[in-house]
Amino acid sequence: MHRRTLLTAAAIMALATPALAEWQPKRPMTMIIGFAAGGSTDIQGRVLARVLEEHFGQPVNVVNQPGGGGAVALTRFMNAEPDGHTFMFGVQLGLTFSPIVTQTEYDIDDFRYAGTLVGGQFGVVARGDAPYQSFEELVAYGQDNPMTYAQQLPMDETIMRLIADEEGIDLAIVPTGGGGGMAPLLLGGEVDFAFSGGTHAQYTPTGEMNVLAFLTRDRSPFYPDVPTLVELGYPYAMDDFRSFFLPGGTPDEIVQAFEDAARFAVEHPQFVEVTVDNTLHPIVFMDAEETEATIREIRAANEELMAN
Amino acid sequence: MNFDAVGAAAAEALTLASFIGIGGGVLLGYVVGVIPGLSRSVAISIAIPLTFYMSPYIAISFLIGLSKGTAAGSAVSAILLNAPGEASSAATALDGYPMAKQGKPKTALQIGLIASVLGDIMATIILIFVAIPFARVALLFGPYEMAAILMFALVFIAGLSGGSLFKGLAAGGLGIFLGTIGLDNQTGLPRLTFGYTELMDGLPLIAVAIGTLALSEMFVQSERLRYDRANMAVTLEHRPDDRITWPIMRRILPTIFRGTGVGTFVGALPGLGPSVGSFMSYGMAQRAAKEPERFGKGEPKGIAASESADNAVIPAALIPLFGLGIPGNVSAALLIGAFAIHGITVGPLLLRDNPELLYSIFAGMILASLIMLALGWFGLMVFAQITRVPPHVVIPIVVFFCLAGMMLQGYGTFGLVILLGFAILGYLMKKYDYSFVTFLVAFIITPMLELNLRQSIILSRGNWAILLDRPIALFFIACTVVALVMLAWRSIRTGKPPAGAPAD
Repeated sequence: MHRRTLLTAAAIMALATPALAEWQPKRPMTMIIGFAAGGSTDIQGRVLARVLEEHFGQPVNVVNQPGGGGAVALTRFMNAEPDGHTFMFGVQLGLTFSPIVTQTEYDIDDFRYAGTLVGGQFGVVARGDAPYQSFEELVAYGQDNPMTYAQQLPMDETIMRLIADEEGIDLAIVPTGGGGGMAPLLLGGEVDFAFSGGTHAQYTPTGEMNVLAFLTRDRSPFYPDVPTLVELGYPYAMDDFRSFFLPGGTPDEIVQAFEDAARFAVEHPQFVEVTVDNTLHPIVFMDAEETEATIREIRAANEELMAN
Repeated sequence: MNFDAVGAAAAEALTLASFIGIGGGVLLGYVVGVIPGLSRSVAISIAIPLTFYMSPYIAISFLIGLSKGTAAGSAVSAILLNAPGEASSAATALDGYPMAKQGKPKTALQIGLIASVLGDIMATIILIFVAIPFARVALLFGPYEMAAILMFALVFIAGLSGGSLFKGLAAGGLGIFLGTIGLDNQTGLPRLTFGYTELMDGLPLIAVAIGTLALSEMFVQSERLRYDRANMAVTLEHRPDDRITWPIMRRILPTIFRGTGVGTFVGALPGLGPSVGSFMSYGMAQRAAKEPERFGKGEPKGIAASESADNAVIPAALIPLFGLGIPGNVSAALLIGAFAIHGITVGPLLLRDNPELLYSIFAGMILASLIMLALGWFGLMVFAQITRVPPHVVIPIVVFFCLAGMMLQGYGTFGLVILLGFAILGYLMKKYDYSFVTFLVAFIITPMLELNLRQSIILSRGNWAILLDRPIALFFIACTVVALVMLAWRSIRTGKPPAGAPAD
């Protein structure tokens, strides 16, 4: 990820920077967050707002618009003034997943994408004292025993269903209704393994939970020894990144300014600290072009998955 | 227990900075609690950025103080205006408002405050000494147990309310129906959203609760202002007997103990929350009373039961949070975020890696309860003056706070429409004697009940025999059946609501 990123970043710098005048905000800015206060997106966003104040020299107000995993905020944000003073720091699921299962008023083409700052760490976890310590062992165990899995999104459910069919595992899948619901089910021994969007980070240091495999396309920098599903031979991936979104029709120079801001933030010790140390997410930088390409790629992959 | 750490913790808890921080939190929470329309979780999320500049200990104690303050403050508006500041104080209004109308508003407020503070302190002590080592007990309550408890809570609380059995079923059914709106939590497909993105997370609980509880009450009172002016306002004279006395105190103490127990149990189980706790406690107090027919007519035990449980839930919700890293309710989930901002991961590791901080927080929590007692005591003198303000001034102010609160929480015009819709629904329910309590509790419980029931059915693979290994679940299923049979039998036999059901 980083190598690719640096190359494209260098290319953009060489091509774009001299051509465009540096855009500057003229009044206080509004950063929209599609989740309630207190979640990891919100915490990262609030620190990011302070880093951006330093970068842009204008106050940045944070506005929470929770609902539908970011879909409510995107619906309202679609019609915001494309002058760079209102922008969104959000997860991509509202674009890569929501439009597949429900009719949203917006779609990918209604926004511009100005750079990615944070990566996801979707994984499959089991209890630390389970009789399987790796995904291969889990599969082998499942071929002899009926198993239960706690899902969070229809995508991870589909992936597990496909793998279970392929490997001949008798698998029952239960909903958890969100991140907080997984830990009691898994730690209480109600389910054999579960999806984790990041909850595992606070249970792996004590050995209460083990990450068996990552659903993401690349390995997590925090668990370099844990393989991805693709590496294990299952051609399925599920990814999500946190990026800057701007309303459609935003001029290139503003998109460029936010890309520079993203580049500034991922190097800023305060933002790195809150992301990596406190909310346990990897820093992943992508420029504007790569961000949009990634969103379209993930959307296509999800559509293919959900067609199953 | 590490006594060096405890000593250091106590020393940190007693600095001037911590007094100011915690006191500020309690005061802010108290005011938010009094104002209908501003809710606890919103207050916490707005206050989290304020804590950026505090030390971790003060920041966390500030936020916990804020939670405690809202639980105590919401009793004030419930008692004086019949418009509870939080859904969890709706049970307080059932006896608090009649008592205030009988010319004892101060006594009612004092009972509420003392029950709050005692419930709070006792639950905090349980949290410190008993709960953390035994937090794992909460894991015994899996989906089967939770589904059974939720079913029991639904039937039990429905049994409290007035009106005929069929009106009760209608109100509960409507709550269950509206509670199913939103994304299906397994397939992610929208249910009954009619294409509105805003409905994907369901009807916002805050709008539904404020609409049915507070705003609808303002409609009722406006009507009364027009047609029945003489009989509406709470009159506050300086009556020497309008204060809490030792005999009252002795009568309500057992109720407070029971309420604390119920609140601690409910709070320690992830997901149930303070509204379930306060209504369960109210119902149990009524069942246990010698004269249950006095409930709903200004019975001090009613206030004490509801408020002690409401406040006990707040420290108890920290049991699974500190013991297992699992938040017990929305406010506890927000606290995880606040901890994260200060670089602390909440969970079992906290006791091992950072015992001083944990003990400081405990000390801060006790301090918060004591500050709450002092602030509340002076506060109720001030707030009791609300009753001198004529209703035609109070009503528009409360309506303004309800509407402004919705806007503040980012729900926009959509939130206002929902709020108004439920205010009209609540008004009609009150007017035609359908229980809004049953409706609201059914609405709150349904999403959790659905999730746990679905989990149970899938995990059991349709095999009923699995319940035989689940004694706790079996016990609560039996309780549910007994409660149902009793409810049906009583309504059929007398054709009247169960004894002591509140009149409105």
